Amino acid sequence: MIKVTKMNQQEVVLNAELIECIQATPDTIITLTTDKKILVLEKVDEVVEKIIAYRRQVYASNFSERVEAG
Amino acid sequence: MDLSTIIGIVLGSALLGGAIILGGNAIIFLDVKSIMIVLGGTLSGTMVKYKLKSLAKIPALVKIAFVEQEMNSDRIIEILVGLAEKARREGLLALEQDVMEIDDSFLQKGIQLVIDGTDPERVKTIMETQLISMEERHLAGRSIFDTMGQFAPAFGMIGTLIGLIQMLSDLDDPGNLGSGMAVALITTLYGALFANLFFIPMAGKLKIRSEEEVLLKEVVIKGILSIQDGENPRILKEKLFAFLNKKEKEKKEKDRSEVEGVAANESA
Repeated sequence: MIKVTKMNQQEVVLNAELIECIQATPDTIITLTTDKKILVLEKVDEVVEKIIAYRRQVYASNFSERVEAG
Repeated sequence: MDLSTIIGIVLGSALLGGAIILGGNAIIFLDVKSIMIVLGGTLSGTMVKYKLKSLAKIPALVKIAFVEQEMNSDRIIEILVGLAEKARREGLLALEQDVMEIDDSFLQKGIQLVIDGTDPERVKTIMETQLISMEERHLAGRSIFDTMGQFAPAFGMIGTLIGLIQMLSDLDDPGNLGSGMAVALITTLYGALFANLFFIPMAGKLKIRSEEEVLLKEVVIKGILSIQDGENPRILKEKLFAFLNKKEKEKKEKDRSEVEGVAANESA
């Protein structure tokens, strides 16, 4: 789940698992696997970073929990 | 200026008027009573059928039939491709300045929706809804002329009946029989003339204009969605021209099958 800002200044949380591709046209268009397209104000690189940060957060917490369980 | 409407009316009047004059006594064809019955009746019937607000549009509708469409498909595609190129270079928000200078209000509204960051599906829905309500407005407009085209011959008939009743109530003077009969038929003539030279053809021309406008607006919708998608402007151009070609072919097919249908009906 990544937080992005749509072109109408509205903030929305997007399901990162559904992202198929991100294009710069030059405005950033995120195409989902559902064929929906979302235009966001963040640049392509910013969105990619957000996704990576989100995944790190989820898997990092998983990992540390497993280590603690033994 | 749409020449064919003007030439058609002038030519028709000239030919028919000329034929009447060449036939001899032309004055008998001018009869105020008959005009009152036919035109007055047609207008009255139409007023009973339609709201005053709808009737007030008649002058504007007549103007549409006489004036050629200003925006044509080539210009619209040019404008759309220009906007697409600018959006590709500088982003959608750069179109903010261009929005004000766009001639076509439909296109302007669409681009404004895109700049405001509306979802693509929303944009499509909003614009298609606008298109549909425009189509319905057009239909309502030309149905007024269709109605008048139906009432005119009908009131012509009514005039004939009035004339015959007046004639038959005074059979004492056989000298008047012939002229009375002639007068009775003049109203039918006026009715058929107004219907076939003016009302029905006007309705037809308005239909053509409406179809032209709808096609243009469909092109605009396609173009705007494509701009929002960030599609390559050259591809957009190809896409729009291909769409126009496809629509023109479909229309020719439809027209041909309509003509064949009519011919089959007549031979059956």
